[in-house]
Formats: sequence, C-alpha cells, structure tokens
Amino acid sequence: MITCSRCGKENQDLYKFCLGCGAKLQAGAGVPAPKPVPPAENFVPTPPPEVLGRPLSVPKTEIPPEPELFSATSPTVKPPLGLPAGSPVPPFDMGMGAHAAGPHITPSPATAGLGTTPRAPAAGMPASGPSVQIGLGSVPMQVPPRPSPATPAAASPPFAQYPSPPMPPAGGPVVQAPHASPFSPPPVETVTCPTCGKQVATAFAFCGGCGHRMKPAPGAVAEAAIQRAEAVAPVPVRVAPRGHLTLIRPDGTEGGAFALQEGPNLIGRGHGPVFDSDPYLSPRHAEFVLGEGRLEVRDLRSLNGIFIRITEEEAIESGDSFRVGQELLRFDVINPVVPLEDGTEIIGTPNPGYWGRLSVVVGRDLDGPAFPLFEEVARLGRERGDILFPEDGYVSGSHCQLSVRDGRVYLKDLGSSNGTFLRVRESRLVPSGSLMLMGQQLFRVAYK
Amino acid sequence: MCQAPLDEPVQAPLPAVAPLAAHPEEFMSNKTCPSCGNQVPVNDRFCGQCGAKLDGVAPAAGPSKTMFFSGVQPAGMAKLVLVKADTGDGVAYQLSGTDHLLGRSEGVILFPDDPLLSPRHANFFYREEKLFVNDEGSSNGVYIRIHAPTRLESGAFFLVGEQLLQIEALAPDFGPQPDAEGTYFYASPKRASKMRLLQRLRGGDIGLIVRARGDTITLGREGNDVNFPDDPFISGRHAEVSLGPDGAFLITDVGSKNGTFVRILGETQLVHGDYVFAGQQLFRVEIT
Repeated sequence: MITCSRCGKENQDLYKFCLGCGAKLQAGAGVPAPKPVPPAENFVPTPPPEVLGRPLSVPKTEIPPEPELFSATSPTVKPPLGLPAGSPVPPFDMGMGAHAAGPHITPSPATAGLGTTPRAPAAGMPASGPSVQIGLGSVPMQVPPRPSPATPAAASPPFAQYPSPPMPPAGGPVVQAPHASPFSPPPVETVTCPTCGKQVATAFAFCGGCGHRMKPAPGAVAEAAIQRAEAVAPVPVRVAPRGHLTLIRPDGTEGGAFALQEGPNLIGRGHGPVFDSDPYLSPRHAEFVLGEGRLEVRDLRSLNGIFIRITEEEAIESGDSFRVGQELLRFDVINPVVPLEDGTEIIGTPNPGYWGRLSVVVGRDLDGPAFPLFEEVARLGRERGDILFPEDGYVSGSHCQLSVRDGRVYLKDLGSSNGTFLRVRESRLVPSGSLMLMGQQLFRVAYK
Repeated sequence: MCQAPLDEPVQAPLPAVAPLAAHPEEFMSNKTCPSCGNQVPVNDRFCGQCGAKLDGVAPAAGPSKTMFFSGVQPAGMAKLVLVKADTGDGVAYQLSGTDHLLGRSEGVILFPDDPLLSPRHANFFYREEKLFVNDEGSSNGVYIRIHAPTRLESGAFFLVGEQLLQIEALAPDFGPQPDAEGTYFYASPKRASKMRLLQRLRGGDIGLIVRARGDTITLGREGNDVNFPDDPFISGRHAEVSLGPDGAFLITDVGSKNGTFVRILGETQLVHGDYVFAGQQLFRVEIT
C-alpha cells in the first residue's frame, strides 16, 4: 500500500497516481520493479507467480497483503533458468509453507515491504498509473481456454501461445517429439505440463503456462512427471481435461490454467499452482463438478466465497454479497417490527420506508458504511447514482443497481467495465465463458 | 388523556374536557376527577373518562385549575409533566411518595398503549431529598436531555430528533489477520477510522452506518457530517460527538431546539427543568 501524502488514501503499490486525488505517488523501493525479460532462446514461459527480493523473514506485525482486486499473480519477473526453483522461500507468516507442490508461495508485491519504506519508482510495472480500466472490458467473454492471438502477452513467441492439445488422449505427460508444433522451428525437447497441458522444455524447472514445478532431472522426465502428477492429483489425469479455469491477470492477460476433469474438481490453495499464491483462497475453497455440458460450482464453506460475474438481472436475497470494483457489499432486508415476548417493541428511528440496507464489508463481521435503501431503484457508481464509491477506481461511473419489484430484490449490472460479481450462495450452474472471482483472483471458466 | 388510578394526587393542567356549555345543569352537580380533570357527576364513584376511583374526593368547588397547585403540591416535591408535541403540556404526575414506577402495566404511572414501554420500565424515587430516575431493566431504556457535554461509552445510545443513534469505537486496525487455515478475509478497502455512528431503526434493525474520518461527527439537518434532512425535529446544527483521549466519547448539544438525549446507565439524579424520555412519553421535571 502506498498512502497518498495529499489525501491519505491507500493505493495499491503498482499505482503511480493516487486514485483518490490524482497526486503523484511516492512509489517505494520495497519491490523490485519487474524488468522486461528478454526471450530466453526460443521459449519464454509465462512468468509464474513469483516475487523476487522478498524478505525472507517477515515480522508478524507486517501488514499483510491488501486485497487487490483482480490481481491474479503479481507483475513479476520470470525466475532465471537454473534458479533453485523449489527453494523454500518462506511465505509470510500465514502457515502456507506446507504447500510444497506448487511454486513459491508468492505474496503480491503489495505485501513486500511496509508502506513506509521508501521505494524506487516502480517503473515498467504493467497496469501502472491511475487507470481505472483494468483490461477486463477488453477481454471477450467467450474465448477459448487457450490464449488468443489478441492477448497482449505478446512477449512470448508463438510457440508458447499455440501449444498442442493439452494432453495426449491417453497416458500422462510424455516427452514431446520434435517438430510437434509448426511453430517451433528448432527442435526442443518438451514435456507436457501435468497441470495445464502446456508443452514445457525439459530444461525448464517450471511450466511456462501455469508455473507448475517440472524440475526433475532430464532423463527421468516422464517418469518423474507422472509421479508428480499422481502425487498432486490423485484423481485420474490420464484423460484430456474437459474444461479449464484460466487465470486472468490484472492487465487482462492470462496467467495459467487449471484443468477441469469430468466429475468433481477441488479448488483451493494448495490444489494447483494458479491458486497457491492467493492467501485469500481457502485450502478447500470450492468444488467444480463438471458433467455433460454443465458445470456446477459449489462453495465448500470457503472464507471468501465464489463470485460470478452476472450477465443479466439476478434476484437476490437478504444476506447476499456481491463485489463491485474493490468493494465487498452485502444486501440485507430491513426486518418488520416484531414485538418482544412481553409485548414491547424495540425503540428506534421511525422507518420512513427503508426496504433494505447495503453494507460495505470492511472486515470479518465488521460493516463499514451502510446505506438504507429507500427508492425502488438504488444505483451504485463511482460518480453517478445514489450510493457512490468515489475512491474506488475500479467502480464505473455508473455501475450497477439494486431494485425492488413485487417484493423481490434484483441486482443488475449497468454496463460496468469490470462487472458485478454475485456470491454463490451454496452452489449454482455456471455457463462456459463465465468470469468468476475466487479469493483475490479472477478466472474464466470454459468447458465442453 | 386517560390515566389509570394513582395513589398520589395527580393533576392535569388540562385542556378543558367536559362540554360545559351544552350541559350546564350537569356541571352544577359535578366534581372534578383528580386523575384526569374530567367533570364527573357528584354521585359517581368512578371517573367516566379515565376510570379513576373517586371515593373521598370532595366535590370541586370551581374551576379546577386554580385549586390544585397551591393545595396539593407539597414543597420540595417533584412532578412530571407530560409533554405532548402537538398539544403542549398534558397530564402532570405528582411524585409525592418514595418510589414511583413507570411502565406499561406495572406501577403508578401507566401507559397501557405505549408499546415502547416495558411492563415495568423506570422508577422515579427520592433519596436524601433528591430526585433520581432508574431504568428498571427496560428493553428500550430511559433517556435524559443533556445540559452540558456528556460522556458516552462505546456502544451508547442517544436521541436527536426522531433519530435513535449509537456511537461505537472501532478497534485499532492491525490489518487483515489470517484465520486458522491461514486464509485472509477479503474485505473492501477502507480508510482508517476510530469511530462509527449507527442509526437504529424501530424494531432494532440498523439503517445507516457512518464511519468517521476524524475524531468528531457533527449531526443535524443540513451541513453536518451526518444529516437527516427529513427529520422535522432535528435542528440545522444539532449535536456533535467527539472521541476523547481516553477512548470514551463526549456528546455536546450545539444549541438544538429539541435537545439531545442520552440513555442513562444507572441511577441518575434529576433536577428542575430536566427532560426524560421513556417509551414514547416525554416528561418535564418540575421541582418546587
């Protein structure tokens, strides 16, 4: 967090200008600015979630990561080849060290260094500046699970962008024959990532697609990879995945994928590289049950829930939560006055006709501002409407609305750039192409 | 205003009740009900308007107003005058005993139709010739109008106009903390705040919540930190609540017309001119 010296608003570390007042921010030096990575030979894996230069030990009092909307993995630097990949970078004190299967537990740069630490300007960071559009609007809703040519992650050569089908029809990861892809002129020995299906050069310690650790010594690649795959996922991995959960980075690029198999798929911190860096995901967060042409998403009583971007007006109930920009909001009805057992009614302000209340959730069991809902329609936005969030740059000028009709309450997006995400109550069917927030990361789900 | 029987003499400075002009002959043989001031036929044993027992009451010898004040009210004793927003002062309750319970069904000052009063709500009593009020464990509490900046603990309730408000101190924010599984709670970004104000609606629900940015919240109808433009009983600038260095609050009425009331926590002394809210009833304390 960078606290604006002019207005006091807290801004994410990657900002150059304050979202509250537009003042230039003093970016700190706590996080090394990511440097452009020159293409290594002819293969550049997509940067795995990784933050270098993180202090090895962090006092317990350090400010933990501020929720960073849509921040998938942080803008990071690819680990150099040959980096002792599994080196036990201790996670900040969160008890996450047990998840050894994934890459390093990677706090976002927002966590590295206290906000008071002077920092070098974070030049070159993607998505820097006071931009209020974070690129989601440019991401088509219906895209195949593979990166598209339009994806701005153009630094990678086509080879990385157009991998072969994720998995061989039968059998686990295998050594790829040379010339398997027309986009790879020089023969490179590759292995299939057991997690996301991307072709990874055997020399690499990590999958470029999802950051999965590939490390084993050349020669034992296939065998070790199979063993690892089995260790990671006891469920059968020998069939081609029927769907993918693709991570969307803050800049709109894709940051790895999680293969969805037929039947139940467990989502959670420790169950896939794309999840492991997010301390806002519960270890057992969700279960995605993939059936014939349908996907049911179940919340496993996770702390932070699953939020689906709504595409049409949705009926909501008292207690439902939704996310708008960086705001976590909860709707409650105003209960009718019910006398106590002895006939006494609770004293209070006469209700002038409030039918509901919208609360900004600012902590566990802690509501921040709360707004009574009075008119039939209450509009939310950054600049226009009845309930305003002028300091949240991810909220559109006019964003969404709550309305009451025939005794039911409805939530509707008003064409916002970043969408309105409704928390899944227990479970719901999700169409292919849906966007969802889990923890602090954004995903797109696609399946056949 | 009908009142149930009281042990003490109770007088009503009264809006005239009986249709005098229409029935002059009845008036001649009437006596005045000591409970509600109604004119009652001399031979009746109960007041036809309020049901008070009339045994032993001497027939009124003339207009009731002049007779009562001098004759009945003992010196040094207090009375509670019921204040009505629309009609001005109403019934007065002479506090001539030691304890005087107020409630919906128990006690001597009864308002059977006020659902905001508990069956046994409050007690007005004397100790060492001073008048006190105590909340008898009521659901809704007893509120008194403040004369000077008054200390409030976190969670305290107070009234401005029709608004029932609650002030709370917010614990220092050490940032998000992980749960037992090491997971952080995702919450909206927030500014640091030391206090928040809650509007409590009738029935107990919360309406508005405001987090203060500084150490003071000003309240009123317009131009304040928190405004209630539709509340006709709130002054333009009405009151303010400040957080003190010891973590408690100080509430100040800044010259409102209708006053600021705080919920009492224990036995509270009353002086002449105090206002007391209980249920829907507002009383003015008069001590002669």
